[in-house]
Amino acid sequence: MAKWARRNDMILHLHRAGHGTYTRQKTHGVSFRVIAKWMRMAGVDHIHAGTVVGKLEGDPNVIKGIYSTCRDTVTKQNLEQGVFFDQDWAGLRKVMPVASGGIHAGQMHQLLTYLGEDVVLQFGGGTIGHPQGIQAGATANRVALEVMVKARNEGRDIWNEGPQILADAAKWCSPLRAALDTWKDVTFDYASTDTADFVPTPTSA
Amino acid sequence: MKVTQGTFSFLPDLTDKEIRAQVEYALAQGWAISVEYTDDPHPRNYYWEMWGNPMFDLRDAAGAMTEVADCRKAHPQTYIRVNAFDSSRGFETTRLSFIVNRPANEPGFALKRQEVGGRQIQYTIESYAAQKPEGQRYE
Repeated sequence: MAKWARRNDMILHLHRAGHGTYTRQKTHGVSFRVIAKWMRMAGVDHIHAGTVVGKLEGDPNVIKGIYSTCRDTVTKQNLEQGVFFDQDWAGLRKVMPVASGGIHAGQMHQLLTYLGEDVVLQFGGGTIGHPQGIQAGATANRVALEVMVKARNEGRDIWNEGPQILADAAKWCSPLRAALDTWKDVTFDYASTDTADFVPTPTSA
Repeated sequence: MKVTQGTFSFLPDLTDKEIRAQVEYALAQGWAISVEYTDDPHPRNYYWEMWGNPMFDLRDAAGAMTEVADCRKAHPQTYIRVNAFDSSRGFETTRLSFIVNRPANEPGFALKRQEVGGRQIQYTIESYAAQKPEGQRYE
């Protein structure tokens, strides 16, 4: 399929149907990190790699391990993230991770902190559900993203100042104002069941 | 119609202080800065005119800001962008690119309909500015 997609000017997207199986059932046998590695080698262009904050909940460490598998040139062993050995990806092409599922402009500081900028952020309901229409929804998301990347590059602490940065941008961008008002209370704060098997034990010095 | 290409184009135009902060971030990442300009705002026009060579050895943001100022002086009525190129293995591409100057008047784009075989129509866009010859588009 990857070869067909390249020949026919198509992008090959891997949608993660069956998310519940991967994240709520530890004993099904295959970690999504394995699927991600397999798909990188198979030539997939983008893959649903987990979101941390959306409704497709994920443990931040497990998600980091999956993102490393998609994006690194060299992945170092990291047991907390489920990476059991060093992996040199040589010239193997990267896969663009995709985050989606119940995300909205108000979470931009969290998304950028957890996932970085080399990621496709898919706001579906977070665009189409905008009270002023789809174009306003897209504008709100783009403004929120740009204002957050700009603040991060300027050295600001977006994890703590994020909501204030968005509120300041909403003063001159009414679509963002409406988006923040619409989705301000929407969070999915699940405890993920798909966690790494390795948990570090703190040792007292 | 404000052209929205590159990063930060949905934000109000960046001040020189804000441009400098982004250049400093790029330099801290080890990226090389270059300055380019064009008077053809078509979104698929990737190859803008180079304002000098990319500054691979530049370490101080002041050098890039001087180039931006000189380019603005020479081409005030054009789009000017700052690019940051990452030469590290696995990227070897532009990591950050944003507009730092735009013409006073941006006339926008016309939708063109081309009738092809059968009843089909092919759509494309053309900048009103690009209907004039190069160099006379934003006078």
